[in-house]
This record gives sequence, structure tokens and C-alpha cells, in this order.
Amino acid sequence: MREVSVIGVGITPFAKYRDKTLADIGWPAVKAAIEDAGVEKKDIEAAYCGSALGGMMSGQRVMKQLGITGLPITNIENACSSSSSAFRQAYISVAAGVYDVALVMGVEKLTKFGGGTLPLEKEDFEVTHGLVMPALYGMRARRYMHDYGLTEEQLAGVAVKAHKHGALNPEAQFRNEVTLDEVMNARQIAEPFTLLHCCPSGDGASAVVIASAEKARQYTTSPVRVACSEVNSGKYMTGFRDMTTPEITVRGAKQAYEEAGIGPDDVDVAEVHDAFTIAELLYYEALGFCDKGDAAKLLEDGETSLGGRIPVNPSGGLLSKGHPIGATGTAQIAEVVRQLRGECGDRQVDGAKVGLTHCTGGGISGFDHGACSIHIFSV
Amino acid sequence: MAQTAEHTEAHVLLAGESVRNESDGSVRLVGGRCDDCGTLFFPSAHVCPECMSEAVAAADLANDGTLYSWSVVHVAPRGWNTPYIAGYVDLSDGIRVFAHVTGTDASLLEMDMAVSLTTAILGDDDGVPVESYAFTPVKG
Repeated sequence: MREVSVIGVGITPFAKYRDKTLADIGWPAVKAAIEDAGVEKKDIEAAYCGSALGGMMSGQRVMKQLGITGLPITNIENACSSSSSAFRQAYISVAAGVYDVALVMGVEKLTKFGGGTLPLEKEDFEVTHGLVMPALYGMRARRYMHDYGLTEEQLAGVAVKAHKHGALNPEAQFRNEVTLDEVMNARQIAEPFTLLHCCPSGDGASAVVIASAEKARQYTTSPVRVACSEVNSGKYMTGFRDMTTPEITVRGAKQAYEEAGIGPDDVDVAEVHDAFTIAELLYYEALGFCDKGDAAKLLEDGETSLGGRIPVNPSGGLLSKGHPIGATGTAQIAEVVRQLRGECGDRQVDGAKVGLTHCTGGGISGFDHGACSIHIFSV
Repeated sequence: MAQTAEHTEAHVLLAGESVRNESDGSVRLVGGRCDDCGTLFFPSAHVCPECMSEAVAAADLANDGTLYSWSVVHVAPRGWNTPYIAGYVDLSDGIRVFAHVTGTDASLLEMDMAVSLTTAILGDDDGVPVESYAFTPVKG
């Protein structure tokens, strides 16, 4: 397998684009990534598009706007992990020597559903019985609070931190800071979550251009190395499971660190899947940033804030930057790549050399999560 | 708050073959048990997720368990009676079931408390009551 580098990234800022088509939400991110990479349209040998709810041929619909057609375009659905899973497919194809240059995008338009909780698969037994994503995470939170003494104030602190970072990101959906009181007194969604404990619904796109390390040098003097690329599915369990331990992330993190030849202490910056406040705390532990039960302390000590030991979600994360499902994976990658290139301005993690992205996708019965993708990048 | 189900009028029955009505008005959850490897699972399926055997027979599940966790849901798709309590119940035979928790105020719930099977009206489908199984705290 060959070394692979990221040579360009682009984002369509996450927002509500009710009057735009999926294609028109998607192409600006793709164009920005191509321009950032400095590649010609004809240099792109294959494209992979992640979208959870975009409908048929999302990738082709976006790419035709830019006249990039005729190449192999593959559409990939893996819920919230759609574009991170697409990234892995592109990575494998370049690493294997099938292509030298490939494009990955994620695109989503959730405003077409009119708001409310994310529409889930109606064939699923628990979904037919009223399971919604905030309730699933709410139950994780309730159990964690009971087992580890987490308080509602500590939980709300995750949202405060997310918005503090997001306020520094011009591409975030929410760029306002929030207070603990505002988080705790917002309207109830699924207890213990108020609205500000939940990522917003929205639209957006993100794109990444990758190349073999050898080819990358033709285009850029600042390639970002893909140190590992990993996707797992959850394990189906009909019996009891510990909802305070996201097993798929624990398993994936172990594989990712082994593949990259590093440990959690070597990570300088991470973008993790904070769809709800509790998720970020669970992932501190699952990714090895702290021991089990110590996540709230890690947050309170400022270790995961900008300036701390391991800043998590400097972009604002899903809670503040937004979460157009399929677009999130490559948006996380775009953020980490920019961090490693030192381009993040007020939210820059000083001296970041190693970055991690983590994206899970759930919403079906019997799984902790249906999918989880972890990537590690380095310069 | 969901009400106790009335069996005298038309209902949309959510759980279908996963619930059996007994002659005394009570209900049983019905899962699947693999005839070949003995794995018990819920809801049932036409193939065993452990050994892929298609010899799966209906199996009554325990009607008592403990509340693993819960969330009071205020925002849900149209049709559900909100707020409702969503929970995971760990049955005494080792199966975890997602269920609405009814017949109680959420403030009275406790982690790992004993709950038992019941039925409830959980919402409506264009005016027709939607009924399914639910769990309620064991009194006393």
C-alpha cells in the first residue's frame, strides 16, 4: 500500500439553505477543494460521495454542476459516517495504486424534511416504537450520570465549550457563545437534553482531494499524511450492553492507533462526533484521552478547550459548527487538515502535528452505533 | 401521558407478532428462539443472528425486568403523545427491550427499578389510537 496525502479541502458553510438544491449546496465545497489542491478537473480520476438522505446519485448531481463527469463516481451511505466512509474508500483506491488523485465529498440537505428530529428508518423496530436520536443519547447520558456521578451542569458545559470554539469559526452554523444557564434553560428536547445539548439540523457540504504521496508533491508543498483510515460496523447485540461505553469507538480507536503507530497522548487535536453533549464525554474516554469516568474532569480542567492539552472540536463540533449528516465526516477532515497546516486563525491549535477525526452513525436497533470511522492525519 | 389501553375499539397495533394478547387481558412479548443453537432474541426474525439457522420458533419473553435507563421525550415525529418516557428494559431472561414507560410520573423513576409489562395507547394515526406494549413500575 502506498502513502496517501490530503492536498485540498473545501467547505460549504453549514447553514439552512432551504431554497438551494443538494447540487447547489454541494458544488461550492468541491470547487473550493479542487482550487485548494491546485489540481485540474481532468486530474481527478475518481470521486466518492457520502450522503445519508440526499437521494439517488447525489455525487453525480453535484459533480455535473462543475462539469466533472465521465469518471467513476460512487455514492456511499453510512448514516452520519457517510463521507468519512467515502473517504476510506477513496483512500484504499489511492493507497492500492488504482488512482493517483481522488475526490471525496459529503453533502446533505436536511431542511427538506422541515425540521424536528432526524428521520430514521421506518422498518426498524425501535424506530416504529418511538425511538428518536435525542432519546437514545439521552438514555446514555442518564445512565452515565448515574454510574459516574456526572451532573447536569457538567453535561451542559460541553455545549458551552463547543459554542466558545464555534464562535471562532467563520464557517460554523452557530457563531455565538452560550452560558451555562442558557444551555440548561433552553426548551426540553429529550431529557436530560435541552435544545442546546443537541446538534442543529441543517444543510452543507465538504470536500477533500487526496493523492498518492508521490503525486501530492507535484501539487503542494504542504501535504497532510493520512496516518490511518478505519471504518467499523457495530456489533449486533440483543442482550444487555453498557451504554456508557461506546464499544465501536473503543474498538476502532485501538485499531486506528495501532495502524498509525501512535497512542492517544500523541494526538494534538481531535474532531469527534458530538451529536449530543454526552457523546463528546463518552468519546474522550473511548479515544483514550482520559480514563473511564474522568471525562467531566478533563472538560472542566480545560484540557479539551483551545489552549488545553488535547483540544477537541476546535471547529465548534457538531453542536456548534452543525451536522448535516453526510457532510460531517469530510468536514471534520477539512478542519483537521487546516489545523495541521496552521490555517485556523483564532481557533488554531498551536503546533498541531497529529490530528484525529471520529465519526459515528447510528439510529438502528441492537447496535451501539451502526458505523464508526476514525482517521489520523499527520504532518 | 398515555392511558391504559381499551380493547373495545379499533386500534393500530404497533408490535404485531411481537406481542400476544392473553385471554385474561394481559399481554406477553414474543421473541424468537433458535431451535439449533438456542439463542433468544427480540424482535423475532426468520433467521438466527448467531448461527444463521432458519429454524426459529416463537418464544415467550419474561414480562418483568429492570429499567436500564430512560429519557422523557418532548420532541418526536407526529403521531406520538408527547411528552412520553422512552426506556430500555432489561428482562429477566437476558433480553433488552426498548419500550415506553407508562403509568408513572417521570420524577418517580429510579435506575434499575423493577418494571413489568403492560399495554398503552402511545399516540394516534390520523385519529386512530396507536397501541403497543409498555412497561410500568412495579408497585410497592
